[in-house]
Amino acid sequence: MSLRIAVVIPIFNEACAIGSVLEETRKHGDYILIVVDDGSSDDSFVHASAHGALALRHKLNRGKGAAVKTGIMAANLLEADVIVTMDGDGQHDPADIMALVIPIIEGKVDVVLGSRLMNREKMPWPKVVANYIGNIITWLLYGLFVSDSQSGFRAYSKYAALIIDTKADKYEYDSKVIREIKNNRLRFKEVPVLTRYTEYSMGKKQKQGFFNGLVTLGRMLWKMIA
Amino acid sequence: MFEKIHLYQVVVVFISSVMLFQGIKDFVKREVGQTLLKLIVRIVVWGGMALVAIYPNFTYSLSKLIGIEDNITAVIVTGFIFVFLIIFKLLSAIEKLEQNMSELTRRESLKDAHERIEKLRRELIADRDGDVND
Repeated sequence: MSLRIAVVIPIFNEACAIGSVLEETRKHGDYILIVVDDGSSDDSFVHASAHGALALRHKLNRGKGAAVKTGIMAANLLEADVIVTMDGDGQHDPADIMALVIPIIEGKVDVVLGSRLMNREKMPWPKVVANYIGNIITWLLYGLFVSDSQSGFRAYSKYAALIIDTKADKYEYDSKVIREIKNNRLRFKEVPVLTRYTEYSMGKKQKQGFFNGLVTLGRMLWKMIA
Repeated sequence: MFEKIHLYQVVVVFISSVMLFQGIKDFVKREVGQTLLKLIVRIVVWGGMALVAIYPNFTYSLSKLIGIEDNITAVIVTGFIFVFLIIFKLLSAIEKLEQNMSELTRRESLKDAHERIEKLRRELIADRDGDVND
């Protein structure tokens, strides 16, 4: 019996990249492609639909976390056995999807985290430093140390996708998933993934940069006291 | 006490009275979003300002009460605490609204895609059944 693997791709103004990302992903396997357009002002939704993905559209921009959650919900409705989340700007290599999925298919773990820091040769050093800081903060706040707490390239079993519940809508979603892994005692594994830093992906305004990182930290701290 | 009335006292009392009147009127008329907590905060903040304007000596009692020697500092510190509480309450309300907005946006996007999701689900079931039969 074939397993249903859904790939959830949240996008915001990725009309230039989403077509090629979908084409490339399709070459690496027979996946259910779910794209969530998070209120883009360009033709991202049209491009995603035209390339054969199940495209969903947020009428308002609600953040990466909110888009991922919508995609996971759609994947649950499609009764997917494994759900993979990846970025829509081409930074993640779809060739790594199977490495994320296999431990779940084997029943060894509930969540697999793609780690850029386990494969960091081409990673710019400011990003390495920022990631280490993010990992330490996530560990201090949520009590679980992982090598890449901010990675969006992850895989979830059906059980994990149903049980993980966070109200985080923005970039802090990735860290909140770590908290959910810890609180729900989910079995997890980290696998190295390749990250392709292109001029396009590095030039994006909405990417998690230094300032956005501080905003994310502020949100994480605020949610602890509010 | 009323021998020498300063202009700031008149202005503060006037503004405070308007704000208190507005708050009490909204609460009595049960306007949308007018909670008892909101009314209490309004009475404490604007009532407190009016009280200090009418009875400046009240600041000495306040400074003794909270243990800060300088009366003006005591007023400012108390004011900051209230402002902080109001901001905290406001941010919590905004946070809740944001979550509701996300939930509504999500529901609407899934509702819009309902037919496509159902179609794809049926195709996947058919594929799986085909695989089992093979």
